[in-house]
Amino acid sequence: MIDTSLSQVSWHSYLAAILAIAKKDALHFIRYPMNAVFRIIQPLIWIAPVYFLSLTFVVDGSNTGFAGYTGTTDFVSFILLGSILSNYINAVFWGIGYSLREEMDSGVLESNWMAPMSRGLLLVGRTVASLVITTFTSVAMLVLARLLFGFRATGSVLAAFGTLVPMLVALYGFGFAFAALVLIVREPNMMVDVLSYLVSSMSGANFPVNVLPRFLLPISLAIPLTYGYDAVRSYVLGTRTLIPVHYEVIILVGFMIVMVPAGYAFFKLVERRCRQLGTLGFH
Amino acid sequence: MGEVQTLGQVSLWSTIRAFLAVANMERMRLVRYRNWVAGYVIWPVLFSFGYIFVAKALSGPDGAALDAFAAFAGTTDYVGYMVIGSTLWMWMNITLWDVGFFLRQEQLRGTLESNWLCPVPRIAIVAGVILIKAVMALFLLTVSAVEYRVFFGVRLFQGNPLLLLLIMVLTVPSVYGLGIAFASLVIQFKEANAMVFLVRGIFMIFCGISYPMAVLPGWMQRVAAFLPLTYAIEGVRRAALTQVTFVDMLPTLCVLAIFAVLLPTLGYGSFQLAERHARRTGSLGHY
Repeated sequence: MIDTSLSQVSWHSYLAAILAIAKKDALHFIRYPMNAVFRIIQPLIWIAPVYFLSLTFVVDGSNTGFAGYTGTTDFVSFILLGSILSNYINAVFWGIGYSLREEMDSGVLESNWMAPMSRGLLLVGRTVASLVITTFTSVAMLVLARLLFGFRATGSVLAAFGTLVPMLVALYGFGFAFAALVLIVREPNMMVDVLSYLVSSMSGANFPVNVLPRFLLPISLAIPLTYGYDAVRSYVLGTRTLIPVHYEVIILVGFMIVMVPAGYAFFKLVERRCRQLGTLGFH
Repeated sequence: MGEVQTLGQVSLWSTIRAFLAVANMERMRLVRYRNWVAGYVIWPVLFSFGYIFVAKALSGPDGAALDAFAAFAGTTDYVGYMVIGSTLWMWMNITLWDVGFFLRQEQLRGTLESNWLCPVPRIAIVAGVILIKAVMALFLLTVSAVEYRVFFGVRLFQGNPLLLLLIMVLTVPSVYGLGIAFASLVIQFKEANAMVFLVRGIFMIFCGISYPMAVLPGWMQRVAAFLPLTYAIEGVRRAALTQVTFVDMLPTLCVLAIFAVLLPTLGYGSFQLAERHARRTGSLGHY
C-alpha cells in the first residue's frame, strides 16, 4: 500500500493542504479572541449611526420616505442584510488578495508557493475558514441585531441562499483577479479599502441604488453584485427589485460562468510573469 | 575644543534630533508608498457618500421625511450635516490607526526594542510620528473642505470661519492625546485591530457623526458628554453652517479647552505607565 503525502500531488494532498490552511486560519482567529468578538460587533457598530439617523426621518411611526424607494419601511433589516452580504463579499473577493499580501509581509509567500500544490487552490484554502467564520459571525450578528434593532425576515431565506451561491462562486473569479493585482501593486491596503467600500456602496450594501444620481446609476447597474443584494433583499424582505428577480438570478449565474475562468486565467498570467521577474518576495 | 555631542548623550539637542529623525522616517515612508496619500484625497468623498445617500433614501423620493429630520437637527441641509460629522470621525479614526499602530508595527517588525534602547525619551519617538500625522491631517481637512464644495456644494465657511478655526485648534490636542493613550493600550493588549474597532466604535456610536444627539436615549447622551468629539462635531456644525457668535459657543469652547489639557496629560501618563510595565515584564517584543 502506498501512503500519499503532501509531496505527492493528488486530490488527497490538495484537500489536506486546504484543510491545513483552514486550520491555521481558524487557530489565528481563536488566538486573538478580541478580534473574534469584534468580527460580530463591528458591523453592528457601523449600523448604529444609520439606525439612529433613520430615527430622525420617522414620520407617523415608520420610515415612509424609505418605503418610497424600496417598498419596505423596515430600514434596519434592509441595512443588516446588506451588511451580512458584504461580510461574505469581503471574505472571498477581498480576502484572497489580502491573504496574499499577509503572506508577502510575513515573508512566507515564496516558501508556501514552493509546495507541490496549485497556487489557485492555496488561495481558495485561505477563504475556507473565513467563510465558515463569516457564517458563524453573521448568525451571531443577526441574533444580536434582533435584540438591539429588531431584525425580522418575512420572506424565503432558502431562496436567498440559492441566490447567494452563484454570487459567491463568481466572487472567487474576482478574488483571483484581485490577487493578481496585489502581485503587481504589492501595497494593496489602500486599494482594498477604497475598492471594497466603493463596490459595496455602489452595489447597494447601505442604500437602495435608485437614490443615486443619473450619472452614477449606470455604474451601479454594471456591477453584478447590485443584483445579488437586490435579489436577496427581495426574497427575504419583499422589497421592490430593479428588474424582475429571475433576470437578476440569471445575471448572477452568467457572472459566475464568465468570472471564474477569466479571473483565474488572469491570475496565472500575472503569477507566471512575477516568477519570471523574481518579484514575488518584494514588498 | 568643545565637547562633541552625540546621540549617545541625552540632551535636549539629541532628543530633538531623534524626534526629527523619526519624523523624517515617516515622511520617507509616505513618499515611498504614495498611494497612502491618495487615500487622504479619496476617503473624504467616499466615506461621506454612504451617509449622504442613506439620508437621501430615508427622506423619500419627494423629500417628505425631511421635515422630521429638520425638527431634530435644526436644518434640512443633511449633506453639510453628514460631511462634518464624518470628516471629524475620519480624522480621529486615522489618528488611532496611525499613532496606535506605529508602535505595534515596530513590535511586529521586531524593531521596537532596539529603537527603545536609544538614549532619548521614548515619547520623542512617538512625537516624531505625530508631527507627520498632524501635517497629513491638516492636508486631509483642507482637501475635504475643497472636495465637499466641488462635489456636494457644501460651503463650510458660510458661518463663522474664525470660530471654526478656534474649535479645530482646540480639538487637535484632544485627538493626539487620545492617540498616544491609545498607542499605550495597544502595547499593553497587543490586539491592535480590536482596540481600534472598540475605540473608534465608541466614537462612531456616541458622538453623533450622522445624527443629532437628541435622538439618542438618555444614558447614551450621558456617555457622549464625556467624549471630546461630541463637542467638536457639534461646535464645527454650528460654526460652519450657522451664524453663531463667540458668546453662543462659549460653553462648547470651554469644554474643548478642558479636554485639550486633560487628554494630552492622560496620553503622556498612560504611555509612561505602559512603557514601564512592558519593560518590567519583558513583554515589549511579544506578539
